[in-house]
Amino acid sequence: MAKSLAAYEGIASPSVIKELRILGSKLKGLRIVHVNSTREGGGVAEILSWMIPLTCDLGIEASWEIIEGTGEFFSVTKSIHNGLQGFPVTLSKKEIETHQSVNEANFERLRPVLKEAHVVVIHDPQPAPLLGLCSERKGKWVWRAHIDISHPSLSVWRALRPQVKDYDASIFSMSFFAQPLPHPQFLIAPSIDPLSEKNIDLSRTEIHAVGADFGLDPDRPLLVQISRFDRFKDPLGVINAYKMVKKVLPVQLVLAGGGATDDPEGKTVLDEVMAAAEGDPDIHVLLLPPDAHRTINAIQRLADIIIQKSTREGFGLTVTEGMWKGKPVIGGDVGGIRKQVFNYHTGFLVNTPEGTAHRIRYLLHHRNLIEEIGGKAKAFVRENFLLTRQLREYLTLFHWLLQGKGESRIHL
Amino acid sequence: MNDFIVRDCSLLTRMSGIREAANLRELRERIAACGENVLYHHFCETLLRPSFDYPDYHNDFAVWAKLYLDDRVLAERLGILDPYSAGSLEDLRGTILDILDERLSELPMNPAVSKGNEFFFLEATTVVFETGDTIQDPSQLPAKIANMTNGSIFYHFIDARRRTPDRLDDFSEWLFQFGNDGAGYAGALSSIDFSFLTLSEMRKVLAECLGGVG
Repeated sequence: MAKSLAAYEGIASPSVIKELRILGSKLKGLRIVHVNSTREGGGVAEILSWMIPLTCDLGIEASWEIIEGTGEFFSVTKSIHNGLQGFPVTLSKKEIETHQSVNEANFERLRPVLKEAHVVVIHDPQPAPLLGLCSERKGKWVWRAHIDISHPSLSVWRALRPQVKDYDASIFSMSFFAQPLPHPQFLIAPSIDPLSEKNIDLSRTEIHAVGADFGLDPDRPLLVQISRFDRFKDPLGVINAYKMVKKVLPVQLVLAGGGATDDPEGKTVLDEVMAAAEGDPDIHVLLLPPDAHRTINAIQRLADIIIQKSTREGFGLTVTEGMWKGKPVIGGDVGGIRKQVFNYHTGFLVNTPEGTAHRIRYLLHHRNLIEEIGGKAKAFVRENFLLTRQLREYLTLFHWLLQGKGESRIHL
Repeated sequence: MNDFIVRDCSLLTRMSGIREAANLRELRERIAACGENVLYHHFCETLLRPSFDYPDYHNDFAVWAKLYLDDRVLAERLGILDPYSAGSLEDLRGTILDILDERLSELPMNPAVSKGNEFFFLEATTVVFETGDTIQDPSQLPAKIANMTNGSIFYHFIDARRRTPDRLDDFSEWLFQFGNDGAGYAGALSSIDFSFLTLSEMRKVLAECLGGVG
């Protein structure tokens, strides 16, 4: 069933929904096209799957187009993606040509929609060349970078920059993810959908059934880290911290993540995690299928404390999700975790396994704080990181694009 | 008597185009050169940006000095600055630069931050719109304010001080037309020290304070 804004009134407050309706009413009939490279899987598809119906609910004609590519194309765009995030990647002339030619083929199909749109939002680098191909465009074009491109591989950035510099604006998730570009660069943080399978309220019965399925003891404290098995998420550091706590408190640990088996590095990390967890029945390493959203939701709700001990992080939506479940978060002092975790208010920022163990013990010795901090964390997400805020910022951007001439203040 | 037209605003943060500062001297140079909108954003619009409700200091420069430069002396000196009591944003800039110059002269070196902890200079694009709601009589204010969005509270109670000639909030400006009938309400508004309030808290305090007048 298509999502509607009315469904969010009980969560985000009627005045927030009214605000969206007023902003949207001035954009009625506008044609907005989002373009990315996949309809399923990944954060961008997740965002667009709610943003399109909710934008349409405001009377705006929003649509979502996909560029189709070959295996070779996606191998090139994966290299571009890695290179933009700082991995040493060198693009060959042939790879750059593949990127361009697949976009040219897609453009022929998308031309009528793109040229007539009032606003086109191009997500990530895969479809970025479309702007250069659409010479008869009538609307404004925005490039939305979902990843951290602050320290890109020079070869990749040299190839991509000419494709994105002529956009009317770009959007980054955080200031320290951006690259200097000759157009306005807006900052829109990601958000969570409180009605998605990952975040929707669950019954006690369902939550406890999941705990029982995985053999979790409901009478002992549970620590949970949800993330893929990646070195930057430091799962071994989490196990070290758990072991330090276990010496004095009877805790349990769940490390749950999605399928890493197709990623050679992920498989290595998972093997190391399994080895570190071996022999301890209270460490539960769960390799879950990509659609196990409800299971993850239940595990987060079973947790006493959510951990996200990353040593490098994007925005860290798993932190947001944990906070939405009313849990304190102990998170690495990096990336977007810093924008969400505030010592003694929504959790604790840490830098080492020792620091993590210290904060776990502190919270377990002050049980009242777990509830108090968890409550503040949930309120903080409600105010700042629900999809209604992200939608409002997109609507604000559309107003700026269509009515503004670069002014910092627009009166509707 | 004119009705009070309830407006709302939505803010979108953007990079100001000024290079980030990686040390105290760069912070000083960039603040000297940045636009007023940048200063306004880092001092006042922080209330509307996703950030936690209870920061130790009230502006981004002080927070950066504390968290990343690890200079609590500077953080305290910057943290106490009140943008609403400064004559203008240029006056505020002058005061900030004096503080930074003083601190630079006290320190034996130019303190710097590690990569990734730089200060990013931001500004905002704001869209202002009418909500369709109006207020006819001062006695309606408490109930109306209690149901306003954070954007409305910011626009009418904080942002107004930058727009109105007497640097007053919009409610007080409107109340003056009611003479003695509005004076009690305006007096109650002027007694509120809003420096330590989030927008949600401000809404509650405003509604309670005005409710007490009637």
